[in-house]
Amino acid sequence: MAFPSLNLLLQSILSGVFIGGMYGLIGLGLGLSWGLLRQINLAHFGFVFLSGYLSYHMVTVWGIDPLLTLLILAPLFFAIGVAQQWLLSRFKISPFNSLLVTFGFTVMIESLIQYVWTADFRKLQSSYGEEKFKIGGLFVPVPELLTLLLAILLAFAVWAAMRFTDIGKAMRAMAEDGPIAAAFGINQRLLSLLLSGVCVAFAAIAGVCFALTFTLTPTQIFSWVGVVFAVVMLGGLGSAIGPLVAGIIIGVSEAIAMVIFAPSWAPIVSFSLLILMLLFRPGRA
Amino acid sequence: MLEVGNLKVAYGAAPALWDVSISVGTGELVCVVGPNGAGKTTLINTLAGLSRASLGSIVFHGADITRIAPHKFCQAGIAIVPESRRLFAGMTVLENLELGSYLPAARAHRRETLEQVCALFPAVRQKLPMLAGSLSGGQQQMVAIGRALMARPKLLLLDEPSLGLAPSIVMDMFDAIQRINADGLSVLLVEQNVSMAMSIAKRAYVLEEGRITMDGLAHDLVRRPEIRKAYLGLD
Repeated sequence: MAFPSLNLLLQSILSGVFIGGMYGLIGLGLGLSWGLLRQINLAHFGFVFLSGYLSYHMVTVWGIDPLLTLLILAPLFFAIGVAQQWLLSRFKISPFNSLLVTFGFTVMIESLIQYVWTADFRKLQSSYGEEKFKIGGLFVPVPELLTLLLAILLAFAVWAAMRFTDIGKAMRAMAEDGPIAAAFGINQRLLSLLLSGVCVAFAAIAGVCFALTFTLTPTQIFSWVGVVFAVVMLGGLGSAIGPLVAGIIIGVSEAIAMVIFAPSWAPIVSFSLLILMLLFRPGRA
Repeated sequence: MLEVGNLKVAYGAAPALWDVSISVGTGELVCVVGPNGAGKTTLINTLAGLSRASLGSIVFHGADITRIAPHKFCQAGIAIVPESRRLFAGMTVLENLELGSYLPAARAHRRETLEQVCALFPAVRQKLPMLAGSLSGGQQQMVAIGRALMARPKLLLLDEPSLGLAPSIVMDMFDAIQRINADGLSVLLVEQNVSMAMSIAKRAYVLEEGRITMDGLAHDLVRRPEIRKAYLGLD
């Protein structure tokens, strides 16, 4: 156990907030599909990495600006999400089986990535990738800040859509009682396709942010599953703001644990928080 | 306006309705009575697209709607107040009512219909921002009827609106149903409370073990000895 200087502690907390933004951004689409479509989409992680690699490829090989790749990848992944939902509903796959099927998709995506980009480490190099600035003695890296801002923007956009638009209300109604929602004219099939498309498009956005921030390697896919699951369950399934808040709580707790104890303590913190939440607020997840 | 012919509905291999034929005319208030498990809810659910017919036909305003998609029944002009209300409990009363007017035709008149619903059930107005799940049974029933009215249907289906409510609230509820019908809306009511249902309905059907066993004008049926004995506890 070591007591860090105040500056080091603050810097760690800041990086915890940033990693929390990443957790929240990945967790947003995962939690929405889990809570509203009753599908535990493990392929979400595969899509995040696939999008990250595609962004890397477009930037490195074609010389496109990383943020512009978003404009290509988000619609493309929306279409993938629609196709995946069509497939899952076509074969009437139950929520539990969706976990297995989408696990299969992730394994396939991992193999595809290994085939195309090999298992080597890949790092997206961009004009602002290494950019950082200093506020009051603390370093603020630009890609991480961008991720956090996007995570906040998307979380609030989803929250507003769920609360103030008819289509958002229809999605919540559909999750509560599908048959009754249909009896009032809500086309469940269409809304499910749309929602799945949006969730996977969010995975694509998270993927681009991921590529800007982290080094890519295909075997990393599964190392993100545990902590993001914890974030989604802590934040509440189907919640828009919850995953981001939970992401930041877990990110900051991990960061503090890392400076005070050791980096290997980080996973213990996220799962302890999850277990505590399940003990004291059962039925929420 | 509604003609149901030889309807058969089965859950898997187990039939719930055999050969049921009923009709509802424009502006009529018709009730279907019968014991628990007779198939009343199955009948009304099939008319709202919540259950599927295996045989027979549902003709509404001259169009065969038997095999249309479940979400098309509302568009055809049918709205349901389902058994045990089934409100969207995690959403506010206002959101529940708004969802009743989800389809474009009803959405265009949302404010106006909301005013009418609040005029019919003044208690609902103060509850608009509250979660539907937090209301009492009677208030929830009002919201469930309100949600169906928000769809501006041509036919209102009501499944056991008196279920689990205190007698004085039941009176209010039947009073409201009568007023809705008096405004020109056709109503098909399914009830276990036979005396109340018969007192407001023009015509009635008796459904027993998935079959229609009697039908006629409500005030004639209540005089029949078999009805008095089986459903009204009178000799």
